[in-house]
Amino acid sequence: MNQLSPNLSTPPFIMDNQFRYTDEELIARFQEGDEQAYTELVNRYRDKLMTFVYRFVNDMEQAEDIIQDTMLKLYTHKHYYRNIAKFSTWIYTIAGNLAKTELRKRKNRKVTNISQMGPEDRDYELPSVAPETDEVVQSEYIEKKIQAAIQNLPLHFRTVTILRDIQELSYEEISKIVEVPLGTVKSRINRARLQLQKELKDLK
Amino acid sequence: MDRYQFEDAISAYLDNELPLSERKAFEDFMNTNPDAKNLVDSIRTNMTSFKTLSPIKASNGFMPNLHKKIEFEKNRPSKKIVNRPSKTLFGFTPLYAGIMTALVVSFITVGVNLWPESNSPVNTLPAYTGNISGSPNPDPRNQSIGTNQEAILAASESDSADTTIQKKKNFKLGNQVKFVKDQR
Repeated sequence: MNQLSPNLSTPPFIMDNQFRYTDEELIARFQEGDEQAYTELVNRYRDKLMTFVYRFVNDMEQAEDIIQDTMLKLYTHKHYYRNIAKFSTWIYTIAGNLAKTELRKRKNRKVTNISQMGPEDRDYELPSVAPETDEVVQSEYIEKKIQAAIQNLPLHFRTVTILRDIQELSYEEISKIVEVPLGTVKSRINRARLQLQKELKDLK
Repeated sequence: MDRYQFEDAISAYLDNELPLSERKAFEDFMNTNPDAKNLVDSIRTNMTSFKTLSPIKASNGFMPNLHKKIEFEKNRPSKKIVNRPSKTLFGFTPLYAGIMTALVVSFITVGVNLWPESNSPVNTLPAYTGNISGSPNPDPRNQSIGTNQEAILAASESDSADTTIQKKKNFKLGNQVKFVKDQR
């Protein structure tokens, strides 16, 4: 590896796949003070975590804030990671916990969504979400419907569904991330899929 | 297989995690119940739709903002970044280790001063150095010590006689005490 620069704003160094470091090797290097390893970890996980958290909280800005906080925690608490678990499990757990905290705060603030308002409360017209012939619009419509269905799931179902069906993690990894037994994870995923099927019945 | 067992096994079936015998029972139930088959197909379609969802990407300002947050955290006086665990001596911080050492030293010093010296005389009476066995030819050098010793023994005998009389008096006084019944 080249001499590493501590400047995070520089573009990430490109590593040859043949010499590609594992996540665990990178965090070990970062624990020894190699800041470029940190940048590489951020680049690897930024978008994956963004998808996970956005599907969870349903707000782009908040999702980005949560991922930044996750990466900040990774920076400030790097020595808390012990090489007994996979790095991905550890970072997903941090992001998931921060997302849950954010949802709890939001619930306490009692923010009213526009979709929850009655027609008399609305000052402006929302664009129609009815499907149109255009393929792009159709796929957007499907995505919105799925996102809405995910939001209707209870939190413990939502987490496991996103991790399994969108992030495609293994049951074992999910079990470690959400810190519940494997059997419970399987049961939750099954029930969540059944609930989603009811919500998305008309989606073909 | 009943309907509940069937619903419980849907995910395991779709994830190819059912054992062969259960898989066969599941498929038999599905083939005899068109609703069950539709349900499985519908869940499978949903799962496929989830996989085609567009990935969410962080904005271009992600890294600069993160960099700013890290810089802010680094310069924050109240909350410093933990780089390494602080230096300890046997699990104590240097301050506490110093205090503990001072306490241990002071305990030892006080303990040594309070402890009685081993070579100091405990008994005030001089030791008897005469010939106990009563040899026929006593050493003339020890004769004066021997007479001295006899005088001491005589004095102690008279002392013990006085003590016995005193005890007898006390005993008589003790006999005068009457026992009464407990009035409570």
